[in-house]
Amino acid sequence: MSDSILLLTMVVPVAAGLAVLAIRRSLGILREVLTVLVTLANLAVAIVLFGQDLTYVRPWAGFGMDFSLRLYQFSGFILLAVAGFSLLVALYSWKFMRGRPKLNQYYAYLLISVGLTNGAVLADNLVVLLFCWEGLLLTLLGMIAIGRPGAWKTATKAFLIVGVTDLCLMLGVALTGWMAGSLSLSAIAAKPLPLDALGSLAFVLLMIGAISKAGSMPFHSWIPDAAVDAPLPFMAFLPASLEKLLGIYMLARITLDLFPLAPESWLSLLLMIVGCVTILLAVAMALVQRDYKRLLSYHAISQVGYMILGIGTAVPIGIVGGLFHMINHAMYKSCLFLTGGAVERQAGTTDLSRLGGLAAKMPVTFTCFFIAAASISGVPPFNGFFSKELVYDGALERHWVFYAAALLGSLLTAASFLKLGHAAYLGKRDAANDGVKEAPLSMLLPMIVIAGMCVLFGVYNPLPLNHLIQPVLGARLEGHTFAGLPGNWWLVAATCVVLGLALVNHLYGVRRTGAGLGAVDHIHHAPVLHGIYDRAERRWFDPYDLGLRGVGVVSQILWGLDRAIDWLYDSLAVGLATTLGKGIRLAHTGQYAMYVIWSLAGAAAIVAFLAGVF
Amino acid sequence: MISLFILVPLAGLILLNLPFTGGLRRATWGFALAVALAEAGAVLLAPAAWWTTPTATDRFFAFALAAPDVSRVLLLSIGIVLFAALAVARSMIADSRRRSNFASLLLVSLVGMNGAVLVTDLFSLYVFLEVASVASFVLIAFNRDSRALEGAFKYIILSAVATVLMVSAVALLMMVAGGTSYEVVRAALDSSGDALVAKIAVGAFIAGLFIKGGLVPFHGWLPDAYSAAPAPVSILLAGIVTKVMGIYALVRLAGEVFVPAGPLGDVLMLVGAVSIVVGALAALVQTDLKRMLAYSSISQVGYIVLGVGCFASAGPSEAASLALVGAVFHLFNHAIFKSLLFVNSAAIEQRLGTTDMNRMSGLGSRMPLTGTTSVIAALSMAGIPPLAGFWSKLIIVIALWQAHDYGYAGLAVMMSVVTLAYMLVMQRRIFFGKVADEFAHVEEAEPGLVVPALVLAILVVAVGLLVPWVLDTFMLPVAGLF
Repeated sequence: MSDSILLLTMVVPVAAGLAVLAIRRSLGILREVLTVLVTLANLAVAIVLFGQDLTYVRPWAGFGMDFSLRLYQFSGFILLAVAGFSLLVALYSWKFMRGRPKLNQYYAYLLISVGLTNGAVLADNLVVLLFCWEGLLLTLLGMIAIGRPGAWKTATKAFLIVGVTDLCLMLGVALTGWMAGSLSLSAIAAKPLPLDALGSLAFVLLMIGAISKAGSMPFHSWIPDAAVDAPLPFMAFLPASLEKLLGIYMLARITLDLFPLAPESWLSLLLMIVGCVTILLAVAMALVQRDYKRLLSYHAISQVGYMILGIGTAVPIGIVGGLFHMINHAMYKSCLFLTGGAVERQAGTTDLSRLGGLAAKMPVTFTCFFIAAASISGVPPFNGFFSKELVYDGALERHWVFYAAALLGSLLTAASFLKLGHAAYLGKRDAANDGVKEAPLSMLLPMIVIAGMCVLFGVYNPLPLNHLIQPVLGARLEGHTFAGLPGNWWLVAATCVVLGLALVNHLYGVRRTGAGLGAVDHIHHAPVLHGIYDRAERRWFDPYDLGLRGVGVVSQILWGLDRAIDWLYDSLAVGLATTLGKGIRLAHTGQYAMYVIWSLAGAAAIVAFLAGVF
Repeated sequence: MISLFILVPLAGLILLNLPFTGGLRRATWGFALAVALAEAGAVLLAPAAWWTTPTATDRFFAFALAAPDVSRVLLLSIGIVLFAALAVARSMIADSRRRSNFASLLLVSLVGMNGAVLVTDLFSLYVFLEVASVASFVLIAFNRDSRALEGAFKYIILSAVATVLMVSAVALLMMVAGGTSYEVVRAALDSSGDALVAKIAVGAFIAGLFIKGGLVPFHGWLPDAYSAAPAPVSILLAGIVTKVMGIYALVRLAGEVFVPAGPLGDVLMLVGAVSIVVGALAALVQTDLKRMLAYSSISQVGYIVLGVGCFASAGPSEAASLALVGAVFHLFNHAIFKSLLFVNSAAIEQRLGTTDMNRMSGLGSRMPLTGTTSVIAALSMAGIPPLAGFWSKLIIVIALWQAHDYGYAGLAVMMSVVTLAYMLVMQRRIFFGKVADEFAHVEEAEPGLVVPALVLAILVVAVGLLVPWVLDTFMLPVAGLF
């Protein structure tokens, strides 16, 4: 097989995406068909390619910027995952998006995102990586902007936040390339860079780009807004799966290949702190959300914390746990978003106060939700349980504080999903929802597939661990395997206690308020927390809004300067020019004598100058 | 062969105007057009050997002629502008007898210009300049109304001053050098360039050329002459006559002949800069279209002279070559876009019967082709990429920068902004906005005016886009690069 098939994984989806843009409204069905076919073909290619080693190198921009792609174990794995999710999302969108405006754009962005993600994953040159990475920023912008009216504001927010962090990535790429003398990832990996002062700076810049793509704090604040404004499959597609895969993949490449991270390094500490803060703050926000999609979106942030924590521990078990959690998260979170979409389409709302008792009406959706929610809460024997245990183990190896933070995060995660499930699917049904039916098959199918995978990856975890994840670390594992049941039963016991506590808390809250939605009100309205929550709801802590306020002040100053400069040009310069021009016009009296005198005086002056009089 | 450039128009002029052959005179316009096109064609197509092949006529022709590469650019410009002027005359001069007279005068002017471009002798240069000037006097007064006569008279008066200065200069140089050919004068100045007589002579000749070229403060005749002359004459004068007489002679003399006579380059740069500033500022406050174009000519000629001055003052260096290329290129571009603007003004004058910009508005919707071509010319003049004028101005500015004349370079850039300002003000007043009631039924100009406008506009764009080819083929050989 020719190596140019690697290029095709990039080019074909992008070309198909551009073609979709041109499809006429009357032939609308073509775009769904084309999207599903292309994503299907993409999956087939990814399956065929999995396990192979291929490189594709062509001269490109010069100065060491070759167009090089490389397929190996790790990128093949991510390629496969991306292909799987994009096919499922394409299928799901078929019914869900039907009849919405701007479908051409939606499918075009979807396909282009797939192509660019493939490119970013396969890229073996930092500039190619950056190229695809920045391209994804555009499809992100477009995807959000075609959401409900007014979504452009959220789109701008996402564009600014991600754009700034992409700029950091760009600087990091430039610095790394300069330090290594090469832009080729495999060349740098063969001779990794030291984490000295400059190296640390490059590492932090690259890391900002990577974790921001994954949606970590403090670059997260557009995600909850996008959850409300953007089309729902977008959430399942980009923030929940593709961007997590890409961001964590990139973080893993940085810490494993470019700048090998040692457990004693302060950067490892930094990563773990970022991870823990993200886990706790985001889950705390998720706890009090009263909207299905918004609640999920905070979890999409919170769970990134586990991955960053796991990779940040820099010990094999933690890294394996982080990567395992990445793939697990992509599965259960996209499944959760898809159930949210099903509820939105069937019941017409995602406001939890207007939902309730849907389990009887939508049994399949509820089952899928149950499995995915159990996974994310870390209930055995689902996949989330195993990956979290690995992360806990890694965190505990470093310091018990990180373990405690992660465990507290689990407690709150479980509590918030008990609340969500109770409020949406159990309890009393709103009379308005009596006519709700189960979602159509094309939407159920992706959910069922993913939920099934959640069970499979949990019950039979050697499959993903031995074949997908552990080969990434290769020799670093020294023959260890983390497949099978957790090694440390004390941790399992602690997890079970925490889950029990969450249940007790839930039952207490429900008894106190009499409804599933109020299950965590006693935390929400607790003395100190109450004030903090209120301010968070008013976006006091949103770095973007804080930044905008700062920008506003700067803008005022610049505006003042601008007025002054305008005056300089509009009034002073124009006035001066006009006055001088009028003076010159007055000097042109039309008298011959005057003109002759000017000429003769000029001639005399020239002669005098040549003769050296002046 | 190059004597043909002088002999063919001269012979045609005489033959067509023989007494008792009234029918033949009607062919004058066609003959002049053929000569103009043949001249441009010869520059574009004739092989290199053609230029140096001696012919029978050369033997009987006593002038020393040479055709260095600068001359060829000039001959091409002359051909193009003559074509435009003749095409416009076809529309603007309805009476065929008067048109023939116009074409005959144009041929006289052509003889003068071609001669001035090709001679290598100071006195012959003066004679040919006078031939072209005399034709211009009559042409300006062609319509014989009082404004035209006033404009022509001003030109005659100041030309007389120029004549006095130049003839005295030639006499003085004859005294110093014993001859008037460029080589002899150069040799004499090399040995005795410090003599006061030589300096007076050189200064006076240069001042004479400044008058002919209409540079500040020698420009008193120019606004009146340009604006009072009939449209085809304005095209001829603004497009090429003053360039040949003023600028081309300056390029040859300041670059080859007068070099030892002192810091001529500094004089040229100063006069050029003053012309740029005064011309642009005066153009800013004009309300008459043709008068504004006249002042903008002064300003643009200032750019060319600034380039020539940089060439003359920088000594043999890359900056000097570049400055010369820029100046000649800008001369060529100016010939095209200024002709185009005057063709547009002729179209407006013909349809509206006025050139007062205060009365116009919104003509763009009524005269789309005129408006579009005019915008192209204006942008080229203001130096907006990728149009032709951008490249020539850029080259001049780069040359000035390389020659460390930062002040002049900054001034040239700054004045480009003023150029853009008055050109945009002009476009807005004439073509944009709502059409004035009194002109609500104006129609597009007739084909005789639109076709030359389109041809010239295409040239402006094409030269801008094909700039590497133009530079390699015509402009760089000018400075002996390549």
